[in-house]
Amino acid sequence: MAGITAEHLSKTYGKLVALSDVSLEVRPGEVLGLLGPNGAGKSTLMKIVVGILRPTSGSVNVDGHDIVKNPERAKKAVGYLPENPSLYTALTVSEFLRFVGKIRAVDDVALEERIHESLKTFSLEEKSGALLGSLSKGMKQKVALIAAAIHDPSILVMDEPLTALDPKTQIFVNNWILSLGKKGKTVLLSTHNLEIVQNYATRIAIIDRGSIIAAGNLQELRQKADAGKDARLDEVFLKLTEESA
Amino acid sequence: MNSTGQWGTIALLVRYWIKGRFTKAAAAAILLGEGFSVVAVLFVGSTFISFSNRFGIGSGISDASLSLLLALFLVGLIQSGFNGSGLPVRSADVEYVFTSPVKPREVFAAKIVMNSFTTVLFSFPPILALYLRFSLTYGTSVLDAAIAGAVTLMFLVMGLLLSADITLSLGSSIAPQIRLLRNGLIVMIVAISLVPIALLIPGSPRLLGALSQVLPSGLAAALSLGFVDGSGFGFIQGIEALLLVAWFVAFLLLGIRMSRNHFYEVLQVLDSDGQRDELGRVTSRLETAGRSVWSVVRLKERLVMVRTKEMRALLINALFLSGFLVIYSLSGVFQSSPTSFLFILFIIGSFGAGTATRWLEKERLWIMKTSDMDLRRYVRQVFRARVTPLMLVLAPVTVAVGAPLIYSDLGRQGSLLSITLSLPGALEIAALTMGGGVYFASRYGQSTTDDILSSQTQDLTDIRRFLFQTAMNLALVAPLMGLVVSAPFWLGLLGGSLAAVAVLLVIVALVYTYAILTTLLNAAGDWIGRREDL
Repeated sequence: MAGITAEHLSKTYGKLVALSDVSLEVRPGEVLGLLGPNGAGKSTLMKIVVGILRPTSGSVNVDGHDIVKNPERAKKAVGYLPENPSLYTALTVSEFLRFVGKIRAVDDVALEERIHESLKTFSLEEKSGALLGSLSKGMKQKVALIAAAIHDPSILVMDEPLTALDPKTQIFVNNWILSLGKKGKTVLLSTHNLEIVQNYATRIAIIDRGSIIAAGNLQELRQKADAGKDARLDEVFLKLTEESA
Repeated sequence: MNSTGQWGTIALLVRYWIKGRFTKAAAAAILLGEGFSVVAVLFVGSTFISFSNRFGIGSGISDASLSLLLALFLVGLIQSGFNGSGLPVRSADVEYVFTSPVKPREVFAAKIVMNSFTTVLFSFPPILALYLRFSLTYGTSVLDAAIAGAVTLMFLVMGLLLSADITLSLGSSIAPQIRLLRNGLIVMIVAISLVPIALLIPGSPRLLGALSQVLPSGLAAALSLGFVDGSGFGFIQGIEALLLVAWFVAFLLLGIRMSRNHFYEVLQVLDSDGQRDELGRVTSRLETAGRSVWSVVRLKERLVMVRTKEMRALLINALFLSGFLVIYSLSGVFQSSPTSFLFILFIIGSFGAGTATRWLEKERLWIMKTSDMDLRRYVRQVFRARVTPLMLVLAPVTVAVGAPLIYSDLGRQGSLLSITLSLPGALEIAALTMGGGVYFASRYGQSTTDDILSSQTQDLTDIRRFLFQTAMNLALVAPLMGLVVSAPFWLGLLGGSLAAVAVLLVIVALVYTYAILTTLLNAAGDWIGRREDL
């Protein structure tokens, strides 16, 4: 099945266990919000999904391809936004996007159109010729978001996509993520902003100390946490992570 | 705040900056760097002495040469002062020191003390080694060499003060005329320093030699060389010393006066990735339409090298290298000791290693690692983009050094073959050491996301890596150097014409270089794919 499927995934660094027997599924059209305390293993999981890290054991299938056994095919389908995207500060915004588009094998004409449209959408048209090093943190984050989606991937993995964005752009990005799900794309999203996950994610997974402690929609998480039917996600999250401690 | 409080604050800042900077790893790096500097300086000093003896250069021209060298140093500091780097600051200074109640003048004083301390620490051993070498030739004492070194160090500290003063002045009313002022100052200093070169023209007035002594660089050069060449310290030298101290005091007082005002906004932060406003917009040069992905990768790499000034540094270094090598060649050392050519060969070649480590873009590799790109091929393309300008720069240098040698050795077949082989050999060595640098950076290069090793442990690892890399690079290039040395043997063994043997041996060297480079770069591609901290 397409989308993302992780099975019995573990990752250790010597004696340190970063992930332990994680199994997770994100189906096409789904926006999965991955929540967890600092150091819970969110970024490690995402880096394994996009092929930066290799699992110690277990497997991850991305768009039907094993990310370890068939990385080229799997990576074609994925767009990735790291937690702290490091960009080429000596390239201009449009140069950087052209470079990323080219290594992602986007057709020349389509690439120019997408860059033009994306810069317009993210209100970066005037910054097209500016060096990335001269941009504010929020603007760099917008560029990194555009780069993640420049090849129109079927799967998007985003680690803290709202970092440094102004409120207006945050609302826009949230709606954009929701629209990706509606278009049938698979979205794996990590954030500390519980309100956004509650409002925009179709499913939620909570990870703590390297293990998935709960997964499902908000209602299912409420039941698992023995919280009331109107309990907010922050209450559910606290209860579940305290229980697992 | 009373004066004890002020001095206390300055001492506190300096103490913690030193604690933060001089870790065990930094101390090891300093020792290593100074060891290399002393060897290089002794080499340059000996070359200069051979050159002076061969061409009968008098002390007047020696003064002028050192004066010009120091003037160029001054020009560099003026540039950096106008760029806002006269007082180097880090973002930690901005976030913690500049937001504290510490007065700007105390920050200025602490920075000057810190800069002077590091300058003395880094520069004194090589400078002393240079003057001791001169003392040995001119028969003067160790004390004379030490005093000469102290005078040159005083000049260096004065240069830092001038640079700091210029940076402080950026916040004043002169700001609109900055470019004009900078260019004017640079032209004036270079022009005055160059005038004594006219002494090379027979019959030119000796007074010209003294002209550069209105500048601190000229005064420092005349005084320092005066001590080591045994000219003694008389009335004239006393006046020169007073003038030098006057320059020093003037720059110091100017700095103290200007640091009363708030100057933080004019400083360029060293570890910030932000570009200055005037560099914010550039003309786009990364045209991708119709190009293959690999052509775009190479173009991107070249663009990054140009915009980060790496290309400019490469050209400037190559200019200095070629100038030095031509002087070395003219000094006649090659003719008296042909094997020393191997040393030169390695100097030209090892130029490649220095530029290699910068290719590793650390965490920027996430862009490539999350795409379906063939990382082996990516590394080969990046190497190609980086090695091409290096070859273009080094080729004229090898020709400049090699042509006179070939001409002077036309009669000796074995020696001629060695020299002929060593010219492409220098470029092959440069490519190999660069390939070695790429491989070692890929395998051991530091990543800022590396949370397994502490930064100090990582620094020590980097030093060990550098030593290991140097040893491995020597091993990799040894067969090429061996081929140069054994050329007369091959000529005797194979017989036939010199040209045929030369062509055969050059092909052997090229095949070897290609095979080793391919292996190194493929292994580098595999390592960046395998490493999880990049």
